[in-house]
Amino acid sequence: MDTGTKISAVAHVALIGVALFGGAFRSEPLPFEVQEVSIISGEQFAAMTAPNEAPEITTQTEVPQTPEAEEELATLPEPETPEPEQTPPEVVPEPEPEPTPEAVIETPEPEVIEETPTLETPEPEVAVLPAPPGEAAPSRQADRVAPQPVAPPPPDATPDELDTPPVVAEEGADEPREEQEATAQEEATDRIVTEAEESAEIAPQRSPRPRARPQNLRQPVKVAEPAEPEPQEDPSREAAVNDALAEALSEGEETTPEPAAPAPTGPPLTSGEKESLRVAVSNCWNVGSLSTDALGTTVTVAVTMNQDGTPNNGSIRMLDSSGGSQAAARQAFEAARRAIIRCGARGFNLPAEKFSHWRDIEMTFNPERMRIK
Amino acid sequence: MMRFLTSIFLGAALMAAPAAAQNTPLRIEITEGVIEPLPFAAPDFVPDTPAAAQYATQIARVVAADLTGTGLFREIPANAYISQVSSFDAPVQFADWKAINAQALVTGGVSVSGNTLTVRFRIWDVFSDTELGNGLQFTGTTDGWRRMAHKVADQVYSRITGEGGYFDSRVVFVSESGPKNERRKRLAIMDYDGANVQYLTDSSSIVLAPRFSPAGDRVLYTSYESGTPRIYVLDVGAVQRNVLPTQEGTMSFAPRFSPDGRNVLYSLARGGNTDLYLMDINSGQSRQLTNAPSIETAPSYSPNGSQIVFESDRSGTPQLYIMPANGGEPRKISSGKGRYGTPVWSPRGDLIAFTKQSQGRFHIGVMRTDGSEERLLTASFLDEGPTWAPNGRVIMFTRESPGAEGRATLYSVDITGRNLRPVRTPDGASDPAWSPLQK
Amino acid sequence: MKVSSKLAALGLVLAVAACTNNSPFAAGGGAGGAGANGSVVPGSPSDPRSPAYFQQAVGDRVLFPVNESTLTDAAKTTLQAQADWLLQNTDYAARIEGHADEQGTREYNLALGARRANAAREFLISRGVAGNRITTVSYGKERPIEICSQEACYAKNRRAVTVLVANVTG
Repeated sequence: MDTGTKISAVAHVALIGVALFGGAFRSEPLPFEVQEVSIISGEQFAAMTAPNEAPEITTQTEVPQTPEAEEELATLPEPETPEPEQTPPEVVPEPEPEPTPEAVIETPEPEVIEETPTLETPEPEVAVLPAPPGEAAPSRQADRVAPQPVAPPPPDATPDELDTPPVVAEEGADEPREEQEATAQEEATDRIVTEAEESAEIAPQRSPRPRARPQNLRQPVKVAEPAEPEPQEDPSREAAVNDALAEALSEGEETTPEPAAPAPTGPPLTSGEKESLRVAVSNCWNVGSLSTDALGTTVTVAVTMNQDGTPNNGSIRMLDSSGGSQAAARQAFEAARRAIIRCGARGFNLPAEKFSHWRDIEMTFNPERMRIK
Repeated sequence: MMRFLTSIFLGAALMAAPAAAQNTPLRIEITEGVIEPLPFAAPDFVPDTPAAAQYATQIARVVAADLTGTGLFREIPANAYISQVSSFDAPVQFADWKAINAQALVTGGVSVSGNTLTVRFRIWDVFSDTELGNGLQFTGTTDGWRRMAHKVADQVYSRITGEGGYFDSRVVFVSESGPKNERRKRLAIMDYDGANVQYLTDSSSIVLAPRFSPAGDRVLYTSYESGTPRIYVLDVGAVQRNVLPTQEGTMSFAPRFSPDGRNVLYSLARGGNTDLYLMDINSGQSRQLTNAPSIETAPSYSPNGSQIVFESDRSGTPQLYIMPANGGEPRKISSGKGRYGTPVWSPRGDLIAFTKQSQGRFHIGVMRTDGSEERLLTASFLDEGPTWAPNGRVIMFTRESPGAEGRATLYSVDITGRNLRPVRTPDGASDPAWSPLQK
Repeated sequence: MKVSSKLAALGLVLAVAACTNNSPFAAGGGAGGAGANGSVVPGSPSDPRSPAYFQQAVGDRVLFPVNESTLTDAAKTTLQAQADWLLQNTDYAARIEGHADEQGTREYNLALGARRANAAREFLISRGVAGNRITTVSYGKERPIEICSQEACYAKNRRAVTVLVANVTG
């Protein structure tokens, strides 16, 4: 008990220290640059470009200088109280009820609900094109290119990283339950299809059939009967362990999502488990907005994980990069960091009993194959 | 007893964890990702005074339109916002933006004093709770608010993608009206997004294929003003033109500036044979670069000025060739089936864009400078005349529709082949040439 | 080759010019003869000395196969008639306009039109018309006469048109 508490305490002090230090650091005046833009007025432009013979170059009036042009902007105050997101969840004491298997229910985030569907209007292009002979176009121009092609989602589904069947309040359910909109992965092709390829006479038949999702994501919404007792052989011991855990990690460490984890150690991850993590990160690794230089840059990123399967966002750092300029490496790292944070926000599906094996993860993001998509 | 056992058990577990973790981090390699527009939010900028209000809104709209127009970004509509930005200096509520999956956030403030407009802005990497780069402030005149917005968007674009921006640029092109057999053409210039169209010539004679000087202050173009095609150089600011000297009985066309802006590379047709020439624009002296009975035309310099890519039918059909800038043995780089034309060297030097005609259709494509990795980006009845955005990431070109009602339109496409879209112009439009980024 | 053909052309021009003075209408080869009965309206297509006659009776244009600038037999026949007419009507000079169909890039089509115009010009010179009476210009694909996007139209657009220009000094 003592040892556990100590370790926990030390860890948390360190974390808080980081948070505080980071906060203090950030609260320094943010640098701000002031740049003069010499922009001619529309009248001047019109005068200059009016198609008359007379050159009539009006003397360019000096762009009025703002007197305080040199002045740095006022410092940007940082939020005094860190946002819950900004500090690891451990810090926030949170009375933790019995762990329930309802992971799914807490899943719905405002983004899913709020975000208006973004089924982009189809390219006006398509209309101009004569219909290609093979009508069953193998891959369509979708706005999204993903590792596996995804068929167009049902019209009322909200785009998301994972497919989730709709949850409707069930009659006779014990607890009122939030309705959850159906989410579906956005339509995606498995590679970029240019107009030229799209209209190619003979294109290889490619099935847009969505493959079975790897079981990386939380088991989607089995409309779980709440409060169903876990099928454990030894419920009392289990409960005790959980109690103890909750007590030991009294600062509100999120409950282990898998109640069946008696100890955070175990055999190494199976290749399936690794694969599922790999796929999960892949789904959020958006290289679409990267420069071509950054697309030629491989970065290795280290992240320290929380026990609940979420990444410790502050721990994400670049270990190594190769193939591109420093600037490119920075863009590539930022994209990788976004991938880890976004898809890890709800926790990666990692076996809790093997926590020690995935507490520290090094991910190498190699975009080589994405370049030729 | 139970508690005791548990605590031992826990202690052991907790001790074991870091030890194991430190030694062997889990290593995975990620080679598959997604390519999709990055969601961003650009709430209306915050006006310091009521006079600034209209600019504050308009600037944010132009910034958003610029970013969305790249196809690399997707704007999250304002009605999805959880928190509003009421003060430029207020702390950003990252949680609210994360919740709507805004991965980038642009906040700004606008103030107006007289006709001086000041725009301040910051770019945020929402999921990392950090600012991307430093805040920046632009000052200009109220009339130039669109350019200021483009400059803001260029900053956002380049900080997120790592690519240089291209929004604060212009396009010179040929504005077309009238039916195909009586088409009237005149030179026009506009912002890259089709705004602020101004005409540079009247439509009394055919004008073709304008090209910007490296500094963007002059435009070369071909005109039939004298009855035969000759090359003119036009001062964009003064709208003053001069014809370049030529030889009697010849036609000159397809001009392009050298990267230093001092020479003009062009085609000269004499006695039915077209070769490449180089003219010192100050002295008017020309020098012949190729001497072959075949057609040599549509030349374009490499960005460093050391090489020239051009089109020649010396092999029987039009193909692409590269030769040293002072002439010399050309090397064929195109290798696919079809007819290749109008090669243009990317400002980054890595790619060559071209027009390809194959099996009754036209394509805009790109290839590496050695001719490898040819990739066709478009396909239509008639696409031609690619021009590069200043950052080498986007290509604009002419698309002509078939038939009696056929009309020319400008289109742009990302070099990945994504985001093909028309550029809105008041009339028909052809032969675009993208300016460098404005200073 | 060029020099010799020019010399030949010069000789022919002189010979024919002498001949023309004596019998203005008699020497009209090929398509000539139609309006030789004295009741012609000057300038009308029935006037063999009129540009309208040249345009309609002689034929002012020749057509080319796709991407070609070589003269077909039909084109040569027409050009021969043009040469004959030009040799008799020395008040006129000719401007040959080369054109291309829309299937090709603007630049290449300009060069191709120049080739076509020049092919016609060379032929006329080889038949004795003075080189300094014939200029060429290419319009590439800028001035189609037919505007459909089918071969029927394209075939008519791939052309070299001989336009008469009055009052030459050469």
